[in-house]
Formats: sequence, C-alpha cells, structure tokens
Amino acid sequence: MSEDIIELDASTLTPREINSKVKENAGKGSKILIKNPNAMHYLVAGVVDEADIKIDGSVGYFAGTMCDGSKIKINGNAGWFVGDNLTDGEIIVEGTAGDGAGQGIYGGTVVVRKSVGSRTGEIMKNGTIIIGGNSGFMTGIFMMGGRMIILGDVGEDLAESIIRGEIYVKGKISSLGYNAKIVKPTDEDKETLKKDLAKYGFNLSYKELDEFKKVVPESKRPFYGH
Amino acid sequence: MCGIAGIVYKDKKLHNIGNDMTNMLHELQHRGPDSAGYAIYGGTGLKKNEYILKIQVKEEQRLLETVKDAVNMITPIQSDEVLPSVGDSFIYKCKIELDNFSELKPLISQVDTIDDVIVLNGSQAFEMIKDVGSVLDIADRYDVRNVRGTHAIGHTRFSTESGVDRYHAHPFQTYIIRDISVVHNGQITNYWKVRDPLERKGHIFETFNDTECLVHYIADKLDTGYSLEEALEQSVEDMDGPFSYIIRTPQGIGIAKDKLGLRPGVMAETDDVFAIASEEVSLGQVVDTHNIEQISPGEVMVYEI
Repeated sequence: MSEDIIELDASTLTPREINSKVKENAGKGSKILIKNPNAMHYLVAGVVDEADIKIDGSVGYFAGTMCDGSKIKINGNAGWFVGDNLTDGEIIVEGTAGDGAGQGIYGGTVVVRKSVGSRTGEIMKNGTIIIGGNSGFMTGIFMMGGRMIILGDVGEDLAESIIRGEIYVKGKISSLGYNAKIVKPTDEDKETLKKDLAKYGFNLSYKELDEFKKVVPESKRPFYGH
Repeated sequence: MCGIAGIVYKDKKLHNIGNDMTNMLHELQHRGPDSAGYAIYGGTGLKKNEYILKIQVKEEQRLLETVKDAVNMITPIQSDEVLPSVGDSFIYKCKIELDNFSELKPLISQVDTIDDVIVLNGSQAFEMIKDVGSVLDIADRYDVRNVRGTHAIGHTRFSTESGVDRYHAHPFQTYIIRDISVVHNGQITNYWKVRDPLERKGHIFETFNDTECLVHYIADKLDTGYSLEEALEQSVEDMDGPFSYIIRTPQGIGIAKDKLGLRPGVMAETDDVFAIASEEVSLGQVVDTHNIEQISPGEVMVYEI
C-alpha cells in the first residue's frame, strides 16, 4: 500500500497558507512534506493535532512554535526559537539552530544535531532538549523544569537563575550562572541518558557518559534579583 | 528590526555584487520596509584622487546650478549626471578631483550650507546607493543589479528612531577615515554618552541617528591607532543596548554583536565567498548554508580585504 504523503511547496505559498494546510491535514494520519522552505519564518506554527511532518531544507524563526503532539523533522538548519512553547511531540533539527532553541517548552522533545546559539531552553518548564554540538551564552536561563542534554561545550552563565530542572553537559562549561551548581550524575541518571540519547542516534559508551556534568539549582526557593 | 548583510569575494575580482546584495537584502525585506541601502566597493573605477559626490537636491533647476557653482568653486567637476527623482528631490552625481582626502569634508560642508541640498555621500572606493522604499524598487530605480564590485554591505531599515528619508537610510559613513561605511541593526541606548566625547574631540554629527554615532566611534578608534578588531571589541564594551553591525573599513569588514546577543547574526564561508547576514535566508542567496555559524553574544569578527 502506498503511503499517503501531502506535499506542500513553500516557494509558492505564504507561511499562513502552509500552516493552514498543515492544520487541515493534521490528525488524519497523513504524512506531510514541506519542500523549498528557504528559511521561511513561522513554519508549522500552532499545530495541535498529531502529524508527521518533514521539512526539506532550512527554516527561519519560530519553526514549530506552540505545537502539541506532532513529529516534526527539519532537514536543514533552524533560525531563532525553534520549538518555542512546545507542549508535546518531537522536533528534530538535522543541522544547527539559532538562539532560544526550545524556549519555554512545557513538554515534548527538541533535538538539534549540531550546535545552537544562545539562551537555549530559556524559561523551559518541562520536556527535553538535546543538543548534539555546542550551546551558547546563558543556556537554560530562568529554567523552571525539564531536562537539557548538551553533548558539546556551553558558553558563559549556564543555567542563570535556574529554579528547577537539570542540565547535563558532556563538554566544557565556560561558567555557571547565579543559583546553578554542578553535581555528579548518578548511575541511574547515566542509564537514562544512554537510553534517551540512543533514541535519537547518539550512541554513547559508558566511558563517554562518565564525562557528563549535571547542573541543578543551588536553591529551589524563589528569589528576587541577586 | 532591520536587516544587515555583507559579502566579500575572496578573489578580489569584480563580480555582479549589486545583484548578489539585492538578492540578499530582498530576503531580509521583512526585517525592514522603510528604506534600504548599499555600499558597493571595488568597482568605481576611480583614480586615487578622484571622488564621487552624491547630492540630494530639491526639485528646482536653479538649485542644481547653485550646487554646481559651489563645487566648481572648490574643484572643477569632471563629469556629472542627474539620477531619477523621487518625491520632491533628485540626486545629482558628480566626479571631482582633490589633492588630499582631507579636503573632502570641507567641500561637503560647503555644499551642505545650501538650503534644500544635502550631500548623501562622498567616496572614492565605493558606490553608496540608498533610498526609501523596498529593496527591489530601489534596485530598479538605480540599476543596482548591474553594479559590479569586489565586496559590499547592505541594509533594510525598520525605523525606530530618527527620520524615514533617504538621508537616514543606511549605510552611514564619516569623512574621518577614507571610505568607511556601516550598517546596523539595533539601538545604541547610551547614544549621548558615546556621542558627547566624540563631539568634544571635534566630530561633527549631521543627524541624531545612533548608527552615525557608531561609525564616528569606530573611525575615531582607528584614527587613534586601534586595529579594527580592537575597535570592535572596545565598541562591545562601550556601547549599551541591543545591536549587531557590519562595518567596512580600509582594514577589512568587521562585525560586532552586543554582549547579550539580542540581535541576530550568522556567517558562512566557502573557498570563494565570505558572507554575513541577519538571517540564513539571506546567506542562502550567495553561499551553501550547510555550515553556517551563529555569531555569539559579544563576539567580534574581522575579515581582512
């Protein structure tokens, strides 16, 4: 039986038109392929029914923002704020992403295979963010929950003003932000990391897993300024 | 918002860079609908002591003669043309010769004293083209796609301060350093704190635009012995606010981004081309974007030309 694939050519449609067509077809079991995105902004925004969406090329700002339950794969790079406010589902970026990847997510998983810009996972509340490369300045700023896994290095002020959640870093940490501290991951943590990373093709040995540092809040008490 | 872009052809040969930059800026049109501009280097064909002046003149024939007289009083006009008019003014373009670069600013100041006349640009190594309207309209109006060069910077403007007119469109330049120009996305929020010391040193500001302040600041640093990289690094320390900017100086093309990284910037490099832009969509017009790099908060970068 041939697979039912809805093809949308972004070079002939506006973001609003594309998103309307994606929403019309979401929840019906079809696969959706968006071609020629040419780094267009706001692609696949606000899709709240389950859909299997593939974007063949780079996307601009806010790709997959406010989605709930879709599986989105981007075969290219993503601009700022990919996966912003995701509540459930999965967004996989095969290339790099700009600032604010996974900003404010409530659930689901955002995966970026290569490096990302600054403020990754800013104010995230739950869910998982996996970065295959480096993450920049103020990664995890104001983090309120969830989990971030970074296989490369991170920039200055990691987890600035974190209040809940945990960040695992395999590479170097330039500096910690206010209220952040480093603890040793437990064996249970490492098992979970191994399993979750393998799901996205990051197969790490136990020796490599030993390199991870775990960053958590110093205090979970709310604070005002510092 | 504003969009900024820069491109350098590494072979230093002439390319259809006006066309490239038009394509790059068109992709950034959504970042700024008010005006757009280009500084295209390497293709003017001018000799060392030759300069191009671009002068905005209100649509009155007597004014054009007054402008010509004012220029001819200082140095004979070698050749000239009148570019298409927009609104109630047109641009008069003329070629002149000067013994020294230092004579350029006094000449421009003299022409600027004529009512309803503004000198938009005086340059030797680059062609400045800027106006209100969309990128494609401006490109058609001034036949930008056929302007050749070795490197260029460009801008689409979303005005957040100062006027929306041809004069306030980017790029901005100064006459302290030869053939310097800048395009900028963002706001310099400690504008007066930066401008005041420069004015005390004798810098003359023509606008209240923070981008003009930025180009004066860098020119001043270069004039006092800073390398371009040092000047850019110092600007990141001294300037407050969200910003990223691209500057072309005789030393090279530089980019700087504020410490909090509140304005975007990406770059890509191939064997042939070095390119910078606000967004990947713009870079994609001139390079393969598989290996783009984000410019980090507080980062500065120089590409020597």
